[in-house]
Amino acid sequence: MTTTMEAKKKRTEMLVEMRKEHRDTVQKAQELLKAQQSTRKVLERALTGGPHSVPQLAQAVNMPAHEVLWHVAGMKKYGIVAEAGTDESGDYYLYRLTKEAA
Amino acid sequence: MPEENVNKQAQAGQNPKDEEPRIGVYVCNCGGNIGDVVKCDMVAQTLGKLPNVTVAHSNMFMCSDPGQKMIADDIKEKGINRVVIGACSIFLHEQTFRRTLERAGLNPYLYYHVGLREQVSWVHHGTPKEATEKSIRMMAAGIAKARNMKPLEPVRLPAHRHALVIGGGVAGLRSALDLARRGLQVTLVEKSHYLGGRMAQWERVFPTNEEARPLLKRLIDQVLAEPNITIHTGAQVAGAKGYVGNYTVTIRQQPRGVRGTFPNEQGVMDVCPIKQRCEFNYGLSTRKAIYRPYKECVPEGLVIDWEHCTKCGECVQVAPEGMINLEEEAHEFTVEVGAVVLATGFQPYEPFYGEMGWKEYPEVITLPQLHRLLDDEGPSDGKFYWNGHPVRNVALIHCVGSRQVEGVHRAQMDGEVNNYCSRVCCTASLSMASLIRQKAPDAKIYEIYEDIRAYGRWHEDYYTRASKNNVTFLRYYAEEIPEVRRADEKAENPLLVKVRDHLTWGEEIEIPVDLVVLSVGMMPNPVQDLMEIFKVTPGSDRFLLEVHPKLRPVETAVNGVVLAGTAQGPMNIQESCAAASAAAAKVSALIEQAKVELEPYVAHVDPDQCQGSGECVKVCPQEEAIELKTFSENGRTFQRAVVTPANCNGCGVCVSVCPNRALDVQGWRLDEYEAMVEAIAADIPAWEGAA
Amino acid sequence: MPTEHIKVDALVVGGGIAGMQTALDLGDQGYQVALVERQSSIGGKMIDLSKVFPTLDCCSCITTPKMSATAHHDNINLLTYSEIESINRNGNGFTVQVTKKPRYVREDDCTGCRSCELVCPLEVSEDEHEFGRTSHRIVYVPFSTAVPQKAVVDIDNCIFCGKCIQACPSDAIDFTQQPEPVEIETRSIVLATGFETTPIDAKKEYGAGKLRNVISGMMMERLLAPTGPYGRVLRPSDGKMPASIAYVQCAGSRDQTLGVTYCSRVCCMYAIKQAMLLSGALPLAEITIYYMDIRTFGKGYEQFYQNAKAMGVEFLKGKVARITEDADQNPIVRVELIDEFGKTRVTERQHDLVVLSVGLLPGGNPQAKFGVPVGEDGFIQVPDYNVFPAVTSQPGIFVTGTALGPMDIVDSIMMAGAAASATASYLESSNGSGKEAQSQPERSVEYA
Ligand SMILES: Cc1cc2nc3c(=O)[nH]c(=O)nc-3n(C[C@H](O)[C@H](O)[C@H](O)COP(=O)(O)OP(=O)(O)OC[C@H]3O[C@@H](n4cnc5c(N)ncnc54)[C@H](O)[C@@H]3O)c2cc1C
Ligand SMILES: Cc1cc2nc3c(=O)[nH]c(=O)nc-3n(C[C@H](O)[C@H](O)[C@H](O)COP(=O)(O)OP(=O)(O)OC[C@H]3O[C@@H](n4cnc5c(N)ncnc54)[C@H](O)[C@@H]3O)c2cc1C
Ligand code: SF4
Ligand code: SF4
Repeated sequence: MTTTMEAKKKRTEMLVEMRKEHRDTVQKAQELLKAQQSTRKVLERALTGGPHSVPQLAQAVNMPAHEVLWHVAGMKKYGIVAEAGTDESGDYYLYRLTKEAA
Repeated sequence: MPEENVNKQAQAGQNPKDEEPRIGVYVCNCGGNIGDVVKCDMVAQTLGKLPNVTVAHSNMFMCSDPGQKMIADDIKEKGINRVVIGACSIFLHEQTFRRTLERAGLNPYLYYHVGLREQVSWVHHGTPKEATEKSIRMMAAGIAKARNMKPLEPVRLPAHRHALVIGGGVAGLRSALDLARRGLQVTLVEKSHYLGGRMAQWERVFPTNEEARPLLKRLIDQVLAEPNITIHTGAQVAGAKGYVGNYTVTIRQQPRGVRGTFPNEQGVMDVCPIKQRCEFNYGLSTRKAIYRPYKECVPEGLVIDWEHCTKCGECVQVAPEGMINLEEEAHEFTVEVGAVVLATGFQPYEPFYGEMGWKEYPEVITLPQLHRLLDDEGPSDGKFYWNGHPVRNVALIHCVGSRQVEGVHRAQMDGEVNNYCSRVCCTASLSMASLIRQKAPDAKIYEIYEDIRAYGRWHEDYYTRASKNNVTFLRYYAEEIPEVRRADEKAENPLLVKVRDHLTWGEEIEIPVDLVVLSVGMMPNPVQDLMEIFKVTPGSDRFLLEVHPKLRPVETAVNGVVLAGTAQGPMNIQESCAAASAAAAKVSALIEQAKVELEPYVAHVDPDQCQGSGECVKVCPQEEAIELKTFSENGRTFQRAVVTPANCNGCGVCVSVCPNRALDVQGWRLDEYEAMVEAIAADIPAWEGAA
Repeated sequence: MPTEHIKVDALVVGGGIAGMQTALDLGDQGYQVALVERQSSIGGKMIDLSKVFPTLDCCSCITTPKMSATAHHDNINLLTYSEIESINRNGNGFTVQVTKKPRYVREDDCTGCRSCELVCPLEVSEDEHEFGRTSHRIVYVPFSTAVPQKAVVDIDNCIFCGKCIQACPSDAIDFTQQPEPVEIETRSIVLATGFETTPIDAKKEYGAGKLRNVISGMMMERLLAPTGPYGRVLRPSDGKMPASIAYVQCAGSRDQTLGVTYCSRVCCMYAIKQAMLLSGALPLAEITIYYMDIRTFGKGYEQFYQNAKAMGVEFLKGKVARITEDADQNPIVRVELIDEFGKTRVTERQHDLVVLSVGLLPGGNPQAKFGVPVGEDGFIQVPDYNVFPAVTSQPGIFVTGTALGPMDIVDSIMMAGAAASATASYLESSNGSGKEAQSQPERSVEYA
């Protein structure tokens, strides 16, 4: 249908316009996105090997534990990871990839 | 009903008027309060299989906007015409969900609420499986009821735009003023012969350091200037009939015995031979049987203390002709009001004989007495003297009659100790410490406390000031009450206070003092009579009880009866005034429109079944709720029961005695009960996790 | 952009519990009310709390129905995500210029379904509600019980990929949205601008915000809330379930060095409440409260305190001088203890997590915008604090809730009723140019 085509074209134009208008912030956000996506990928890859606690993940991906926790919290919020009981000490929760994410 | 839905039913071959129940079932997790124990999604899933259940959902917070929207959408889009909600207590959110139904265009009474929190999750912690099963059963019963529910209408009645305020302390005055300014008529009833309550007795008030009486006077003047307020002092409520919007209250007023003011009042008081303890000065002075409570009191005239007056007539001799009438009688009258504000205030805790030397040693006084003592208009003209000597060492002991511990402190008559904090005494004591320092720059002042609770705005300044002013602080634990005892005869100071001080090494210290001040806490004024008349209840602390401290903080369980000020619990003046204004706002919202709505849960007579046996009339505990009336139809005369909904409280006693099953309580009909009982006893559908 | 005009009897500024309750109490009396909230949802601080003392009701159960009632009230006009620009006196009333900030989502079209949020590729720290401990996407519905339940775009972090536009079933996303001016003509104003908490980095001695396992009381509320960042209580450095938790009372209150000399009034109670909730959430955890005075003064509060003691919460009187951390980021509290026998000694104790019972500071800068004077403590100053606490020195302007000074929810709700009453009195009076009293006065004062 031509109308949807037109709408699509208009939308793309608008987005281009917006990106131009917000050039500075867009650039920063894009860098952030890139970094975040690679971090998440690393974390997800580590988790394919089975449930991990935050310190275990931190060690596996060589990242400070508090940063891992931040990512895990976000991933949990958006349904990418879920809790999988606690570790042996009972001090830490384990996280696994959800079915949808895996 | 959306058109689409009516069509569907028509297609299904149903009469759209007598619509088939389409029940929406909602199970709330209550943010874990319920969901941590009860498997809410399982409950919803299982109930979804029951007949007539069109939708069944569980949700984190049903009462939130998205939760309510879910219900509204189901009503509008899926043609839901009955709603069953399993959630917290009905007291919390019945109104919330009724409004949801109303907004969605459904009669608000087509909703049944199952309490899954108080009745299930909170009491079956450790047994989630059984808790889930119980939830299913309880909600299945609700669904059974829902199938039989009929739309109801609230009982709508006209209301008097007139409020009764009981108690003329600062809270009562403040309520009255707000109500009057809102355009309502107000009757204010004060038991004593003057307005202002306790506040009139304070030398000054924290946190502003204002003089109490001028501050009070400004408020009283505003109240007096309001034409909508009628004030009765020396008056008390003797009885009341009716219900929200339409109370008839009987007031009994004691005579004053004196008409207005006249020039030689002092002379009149002087000739009176009777001397009595002056209550205003907490017994620190005496007054006559004809007296003025305090200098600038309002109303300003003298008053006769009938209990002690011997009617000797001395005063009548010296007073101007006709000013004093010793034969004046109490009289009763009634007012018609729509709502009642209880502002009956507090009384200071009265220590037991010997409690920290109280009554045992004359050098032990209370904080209210200290206020009178330091007051320039008080019994010693504000000089910090005791027994004719300047006071050089004084100890103020906090928490007397408050924060008591069972087994340590002596209980009141009802067997309970006062385990609450009285909230004002800490700052009131600190404020007095500052005043003492002003009056006696060299005095040694000790504050003996548990915790200093200078919590409010500017309160902490009093604490800091006291520390700067060389007030010595000693801290005790409730379990080790300070001891007050008589010092040796030769000692310079008459009393010794023994305290284990936890600020310095837990040492037992003995302080020699001239005066001990007990910072007594608050107890509610005794209002047993009013509680019976208006059917309101106290909490475990004996103060009047609100419905819910956050949702309905000034309302009582009785619609139309609200609380103001310290009748509800310890408060300072600012808090009392805020509470009083809040009470006024509630009353305004209730009766401002001159009409009220009552719950429809009242007895209903089926005219076809009623044979006029009159059994119901005999057993009904309410006045004028049900009566036999004579009807004539087609030349036949017969009797039939008639309910006055406004007077019926829906107790259902009449239902149980009716030989013809002609009676039912609307919203709680017998067929509804029967369906519920059957559902509870029936097998519940199998559910995942049951095994 | 044409200016929207709204005419009301009362404008309530701030949609926390105090503002909502004032709006409801006025609306219920038949007055027309506009409520302006600068955040994207009403609810204020209260909606961030876990459970609330002294009843331990779940906070959402108390707040969300009030939010809903406010949003649906026939007499209340709700403007969220809106900023007051200016206020001018206009005869007996006020003309108020308000800007509705762009959400980049058309409020009328958005259904709050979160389809946009689920496809958005980027996450940033959640500042407003979770203190950066968790994240939200760039287009997001602020929280699950937000009112209005509408998405908002964090435009400064947006890459304009357009995924949300495609995902939105009701075509509500609009990146071209501009700020919208609204003019409110009102006869009175109620300030319910609330409070802020002591910043976590306020005190050098307590780690100046640099110690990861030293958090604020507000953060602990989020950890305890079912909707919180982790859904449970984990410590921020490494996600460990803390086995030993300490509270430092008066952290930011009653402190000359910070210039905050007053008591914040709620922190003793919220610490005790949290301690009780923690003993439920982490049954094995040891909880210590370091305090100067325990101020549980309200109705039922002392009993609440005694219950906490009976449950095994440890109350230690002593001033915390300093907090440091060990190599595993366990906080170490240096405290001058006054023990049961009154002995004073300085000790150091290690905990897994330390909570600063931060105080309440004035919020919303009401002085600058509304011309009402504030006291030395920064909270709004009123001429007759004791008897007319809601009435400011500016005719027609009233104050409620924590804008008047620290207070808890019960007291805020009481104050809301008081502000509603004071406003109603004013609206009915001649300087509020109110209608005459409807009924003719009868004879007034009758002594005897
Ligand atoms: C020692 C002390 C010092 C204080 N100092 C301060 C201070 O400095 N600053 C401050 O803010 N607060 C102070 N307070 C608290 C303050 O006194 C109260 O907040 C305030 O008086 C409460 O007012 P009220 O109207 O609720 O009660 P009340 O003052 O007790 O008034 C209640 C009124 O109701 C009447 N009444 C009772 N029963 C009936 C009945 N059945 N029928 C009709 N009338 C009835 C009583 O006669 C009385 O007039 C102090 C309290 C104490 C004990
Ligand atoms: C950690 C913690 C725990 C607590 N726990 C409890 C508890 O368990 N029980 C209890 O009773 N109390 C508790 N409290 C206290 C409680 O949070 C407050 O009493 C209550 O939230 C005060 O509500 P408010 O409406 O006055 O202020 P706020 O909640 O701060 O609301 C003010 C609102 O006004 C808005 N605003 C400000 N300025 C403007 C402006 N210029 N224009 C538009 N909008 C504006 C703000 O965005 C905000 O939404 C706790 C407090 C803390 C810090
Ligand atoms: S206010 Fe102070 S003196 Fe009064 S009961 Fe409470 S702690 Fe004790
Ligand atoms: S409430 Fe308690 S913690 Fe808060 S400032 Fe006051 S005394 Fe300190």
